[in-house]
Amino acid sequence: MNPEIANFETEMNRGFLQILVLALLEEEMYGFSMVRTIRELGYEVEENTLYPLLRRLEKNGWVKSKWDLREDRPRKFYVITASGRKLRHELLGIWRKQDEVLKRILKEKTHV
Amino acid sequence: MYKKLDAYLEEISHFLSGREEREEILAEIRSHILEKAAQEFGEVTEEALEKVIAAYGPARRVAEKYLEGSLIIAPAYRRFLFRYTALLFSIHFLFTVIAIISKRSFIMFPFIYMPRLGVAEAILYLPTAFLTDLGIVAIVLYFVTQSGKEIKLPWPRFAVDLEEMKAPATKTLLKRVGILVGMTVMLALTGVAVWLYTKFQTIFLVNFNLEEARPILMPEPGRRISLIIIAMFAAATLSLFLKLLTSSRWVNVVSNCVSLTLIGLILSQPFDNLFAIDVPERLLPNIKHGLTVLLLFIAIMTTIDLIKNLVYLGRKKLAK
Repeated sequence: MNPEIANFETEMNRGFLQILVLALLEEEMYGFSMVRTIRELGYEVEENTLYPLLRRLEKNGWVKSKWDLREDRPRKFYVITASGRKLRHELLGIWRKQDEVLKRILKEKTHV
Repeated sequence: MYKKLDAYLEEISHFLSGREEREEILAEIRSHILEKAAQEFGEVTEEALEKVIAAYGPARRVAEKYLEGSLIIAPAYRRFLFRYTALLFSIHFLFTVIAIISKRSFIMFPFIYMPRLGVAEAILYLPTAFLTDLGIVAIVLYFVTQSGKEIKLPWPRFAVDLEEMKAPATKTLLKRVGILVGMTVMLALTGVAVWLYTKFQTIFLVNFNLEEARPILMPEPGRRISLIIIAMFAAATLSLFLKLLTSSRWVNVVSNCVSLTLIGLILSQPFDNLFAIDVPERLLPNIKHGLTVLLLFIAIMTTIDLIKNLVYLGRKKLAK
């Protein structure tokens, strides 16, 4: 991919990934399972971006986590909190508005 | 034990040093890499781990993603790093000049201690002073950034001129001719001065009767001061020549530094028994003070120009 486009994609992903993670974490998931689920949905996420994001969301109280040590390999499970749901609601509202604006422009200006 | 994985985590750990949640971050990355290796390669082997680690990214980049947002100096305060350093250094520079001229050390507790300095020591002292000033300003700005408060840092009004200072415009033909004329004059002066020096070991003469030339200054100080003046002429000629070729402000910076050094050298010359001609005793203090004030004035103007150029270069680098 053109490096300039890749930079833009990274910028766009910042916001998108937050909504995506908050949407996915309605049920408990751990990092690797989230990466796999997102891939199955036809999207790619950089693994090394996901974990710092989860940490930031947790620090702000939007998700919570717990280690599961029952298996051979310990896994850290995340799930959304009540304030995370509130945030998700707000973010989805913004995203819908942005989407609506873009759709209207694309409809009116056929050259875009 | 997985050698490659442990080495990789160790490297990430190095870049995350100081963060309290480091161990948990590393545990999570370890868990992810082991799981991915097992899922995608059937079993966890060193080869599989190597591939998974390569896909996860270089250790420094991984660590930086956790450090995003933790700034040392906030972007809004970065410009003050150069501004305050320039201001502090100019004060330091002024004190250095005073210490050279007064030939004594002084202290302004707890802010500054100026040791007694000669010109050579001052040349070594100033870079250290600059780094100290830069460090002090950086530490203050670090604490301002870490406080997270909206602090409006003070800056005197004259700074607006510096801030809005533009890069030198492309030289017009007229400007180039001006520089060329200046360079020719300086070259001629340098040539005459060198010729006089080679013939009489001084450039300060009472008359221009070459058969019976009478020097103004005593032989030894006359030689020293003549050489310094010749160096000044030569430096000015070279600076003008370089200005014909380039618009870089580094030429001005170097030229300013050379001028200040040479002015410092003149100021450090002893005044007693300087004249070879009869000068009335009562006039000597006036001549001494007059020359000192004149040289100090030139030094201050040169310092202001130097600071302007340094601030401009700093801002240009920041803008890049």
